[in-house]
Amino acid sequence: MPGVKVPYNLSPRIKWLYDYYFQGVDRKWNNEFLAFSSGVKDDCLFEEMNFYIVPEVYSFFNTFNKAFNQNAAVLDLPDDFFRRSLAERKAFFTRKVMVEGVPREILPGDLLAGSRFNIVCSKCWTPQQAKKRHRLVSGTDGLRQKVYAFKDKGFGNCGPTSGHLIPDYPRVLERGFKGLYEYYGELYEKLSPAEKQGEKGANLRAMREACLMPKELAAAYSTKCLNLAEREKDEMRRAELLQMAANLEVVPWLPAEDFWQAVQSLWITHMLVMSDENYPGPGVSFGRLDQYLLPYWQKSMANGMDIETGKEILKCFWFHCNTAYDAMIRTGCNQGITSGYGQLFNLSGMGKDGIDMTNELTYVLLEVIDEMSPILEPKPNVRLHRNSPDELLDRIVEMIAGSQGAPFLLNFDERSMAGMLRQAKKAGCENLINEENVFDYASVGCLENTMCGNDRSATVDCNLNLLKAIELTLGNGRELQVYHDSLWGKPYPPAVDAPRTGEVESFTSFEEFFAAFADQVKYIIRKMVLLYDEMDAVRAEFSPTPYLSALVRGCAESGLDITQGGAELKFITIEAVTFATTVDSLLAVKYLVFDQKLCSLSELTEALKANWVGFEKLQAAAIYKAPKFGRDDHEADALAEKVMELWAEETWRYKTTATGAQFRPGMLSWNYWISSGYILPASPDGRARGQFLSNAICPVNGADINGPTANANSVGRALGGQSENGDYLGYNNSLPNGASHTITFNPSITKSKEQREKLKAFLRGYAENGGTALQINIVDAAMLRDAQAHPDNYRHLLVRVTGYNAYFASIGRELQDEIIAREEHQCF
Amino acid sequence: MLLKPPVNVLNIQRMSTEDGPGLRTTLFLKGCNLRCAWCHNPESIDARPVVQWNKVRCIGCRSCNDVCQNGALRLTERGIFIAAENCSLCLDCVEECPSGSLNVKGEDFEVEKLFTELLKDRAYFGEDGGVTISGGEPLLQPEAVTWLLEALKKTGINTALDTAGLVNTDLFLRALQHADLLLYDIKLMDDAEHRRHTGGGNARILDNLVKAAPFLKESGKRLWIRTPVIPGATDSKENIRAIAVFLAGPVGDAVERWELCAFNNLCLHKYESLGRDWAYKDTALVTDQAMNELLLLAASELKSSGIELHGTGSTRSTSTSEE
Repeated sequence: MPGVKVPYNLSPRIKWLYDYYFQGVDRKWNNEFLAFSSGVKDDCLFEEMNFYIVPEVYSFFNTFNKAFNQNAAVLDLPDDFFRRSLAERKAFFTRKVMVEGVPREILPGDLLAGSRFNIVCSKCWTPQQAKKRHRLVSGTDGLRQKVYAFKDKGFGNCGPTSGHLIPDYPRVLERGFKGLYEYYGELYEKLSPAEKQGEKGANLRAMREACLMPKELAAAYSTKCLNLAEREKDEMRRAELLQMAANLEVVPWLPAEDFWQAVQSLWITHMLVMSDENYPGPGVSFGRLDQYLLPYWQKSMANGMDIETGKEILKCFWFHCNTAYDAMIRTGCNQGITSGYGQLFNLSGMGKDGIDMTNELTYVLLEVIDEMSPILEPKPNVRLHRNSPDELLDRIVEMIAGSQGAPFLLNFDERSMAGMLRQAKKAGCENLINEENVFDYASVGCLENTMCGNDRSATVDCNLNLLKAIELTLGNGRELQVYHDSLWGKPYPPAVDAPRTGEVESFTSFEEFFAAFADQVKYIIRKMVLLYDEMDAVRAEFSPTPYLSALVRGCAESGLDITQGGAELKFITIEAVTFATTVDSLLAVKYLVFDQKLCSLSELTEALKANWVGFEKLQAAAIYKAPKFGRDDHEADALAEKVMELWAEETWRYKTTATGAQFRPGMLSWNYWISSGYILPASPDGRARGQFLSNAICPVNGADINGPTANANSVGRALGGQSENGDYLGYNNSLPNGASHTITFNPSITKSKEQREKLKAFLRGYAENGGTALQINIVDAAMLRDAQAHPDNYRHLLVRVTGYNAYFASIGRELQDEIIAREEHQCF
Repeated sequence: MLLKPPVNVLNIQRMSTEDGPGLRTTLFLKGCNLRCAWCHNPESIDARPVVQWNKVRCIGCRSCNDVCQNGALRLTERGIFIAAENCSLCLDCVEECPSGSLNVKGEDFEVEKLFTELLKDRAYFGEDGGVTISGGEPLLQPEAVTWLLEALKKTGINTALDTAGLVNTDLFLRALQHADLLLYDIKLMDDAEHRRHTGGGNARILDNLVKAAPFLKESGKRLWIRTPVIPGATDSKENIRAIAVFLAGPVGDAVERWELCAFNNLCLHKYESLGRDWAYKDTALVTDQAMNELLLLAASELKSSGIELHGTGSTRSTSTSEE
């Protein structure tokens, strides 16, 4: 049994920071949420819509809001505060909080300034605004009730949440906030007097004011460093503090001049996004870190910086990213809440004309990852493609071998870029995404592909259970069971507004059944779109984030806040959950009812209503004899592709009303495939209620009996496979967002150099035949069982779940069992 | 032009990591002319289909028992027992079993369809990987094997043939024309012992290898020898030394590597599924110490032959072996 990966080669400085971090609640210092109110009666501090995609916390909304309010410090605001626009109030408020309200600390040995950033702030609404907003959101029949019912009835969930984008960090490194400040001033001056007085002018002024926040904060930290330096007795440390003070006098206001300054600039710029959104690290991602930091790295190396010093700066950066988790450090959580927030960055990948972009910094960053691992943030995602060098693959496979949850995700360029180009065509934005620039895509959060610096694709905002359409098809638009309000246990009224697609007795062929299913799929997509649309409009009116807007191209130019659709590229991603369960259910209907005639559709429906009790033989046939997705079975996979096209095409039909954002398809399931398994009734594929659904684009657990290559081939095929007129280099991809795919390997595949070559061959093959993104787990069931029994011995054991890393000991028992089952079935 | 009868297939194993270099698809053909007492694929021996019962999947519905006309199935305390001597292979029970708990091993494939199936993982083969044809004894179906190897080669796929070698020399050499790698078993050097443990003598096996060796060397094909290390059967120092001497001698030039594969008991459930007893069911794994001694011995005999020596498989550590 291999040992659990432990960090190594940490200097005393980094070792201290690392160990200090893992002291958790016992730490003297932390980055827990600090709350600030405007002092207005019933001020609202907590944006519940951010959490509509986190059903676990639905019951805490009122508590959170009240608790934050009670603990909030009241800011002293200028008399004219409420006469300013909402965006300007927000910019002012956040700036004042970060510059004056939040304590500043430099931890021992730390080489980067910027410690506390988790804040919860007044939404700065006037009483009239608060009243209106309250009516829309938490009033009777408000959005909150609608979201609850949507989730309780197993449709899924949706909500406009924060983060999940790549701000234009390289522009700050190159031009500094001063450059942005001046540019926004120029844009403002070009406005007509009427525009200046209107919302456009207000938004621009807010973005410009937001640019002053990092300047003033850096100045304050600079002073802090000078003060510490004065008292510091250690010569070396004093020199460091003086250099930090000097750095902060330059960045992020001015362009970065060397590597240390670049990383310092990046950190302050980044952490303030989380402050601005009042949400720690939700997929606010860095993009192609090894590409845009390279010039600074090379310059510093040329000027005599040694590699270990450069790595030391990066390791401090790693530490800071992890402090995002302090936000709710004393609040116990479960099933994913304590898992990766997803400050993602990409390494390597393709450049123009298919050339490989791996560079010296790529390998340095991989070294940092390896030495710091296991640690949750920031999350690396290595981009592979046909021309990825052997040296890189060797390094990657070596690192996979040495850690249980591979310390990074793998993204596959050709397939991913095919999806982005499909998106450009569908959305008519070929001027912004085309073969000349698509290689510069990057991923956010877990693995969601976007462009960099000008793109918000709302990658986790809509999570749709496709399986609901199966239930509605079998019920002729009615549900197969009574659903209950999960907070109070009250039954929901049985009525649903789904179309009547025919009593099941009337279907004489599988094609007729599928046509009815297609109508129900269209219905559930429309239902989600309409619900989201209302929330999107509310956010656009009430929740500007001017600082973030200042960092995303398109916002200042259009004079729109990013929440109003200001980004050049704006998409809302519908992440389909339960894909394989749905496909397998269709395959089972075809096999049981129409091909083998083992039962009628009504009997099958009765079996599902009875949760298969009394229908065990039929259930066994559904599980073991019906075809399944994930076996490289052409017929089964063809149906998977058909379902993919159906829902993806339907998704492209919609845009948001208030912000003009185009809906786009993706597949990521976070932890919903577990929780929704308890909500949705039994399904025709043999799954009983309470069993998990399929995860993202993965086959149903245990269905991939032909091994990892067959599994990968099926996934690639479902996305569209390859064809002569493919979206990119012959590759097709229906999902521009990408699709989460996890494969668990037994440790034997990494035990020798010869075996590791085989894993490399698998990765090269995956680039041809597989999906957009792959997560590899290397664990054996025995180790996981031991970890379940002795969690204290395995506090550092990371496993991958749907695109995020999670500490095995911290996730719920059900999820642990699921991961063990997943592993064991690979052992045959 | 060769005939193309249907191929009697036991299993197609994708992403195989143990049947040659790189990632491979291994085709296991059904039927064997040896009866090795330790056989790890007992379901591969009989050329006819075999019905087997999978305990884990059984839901206890007894549909199989109801449908069997020949009294070949017995419900016992340990589950379903299949009396092979009564089974007419009508497969009614397999058809009726809802969970696939009763299933049949052995399926006829058209050779073209099989060929398509073997190409599905082409993207993963890379330069090293490819297709391995194994068994049972694959060369009991020489036409199909030769046709497949030739077709695969023409398509640019790296090919390997895994045989125990107790076959007609001409057919063996003909098939070998189209293989890039020969995986060849040498189990025991003593003919009488070979007979006792495997049911067949080793004269032809050794002779075939001697005949193939010059051709392999000339044409740049690779040869890997495999020896199962079976407690009480093949694991004696005399046997390993004798094999080493043979390898370093008449065929040595052609051999690239020699694997000593330590015994494991992972196939016990297969015997249970088939309702058969297994002589090795209580046999412990080879100790790491014993394995190391055999490897050292082999290495000293091979000396400067240039043959790579590998030890594979599970062993138990000496420190816990006395428990």
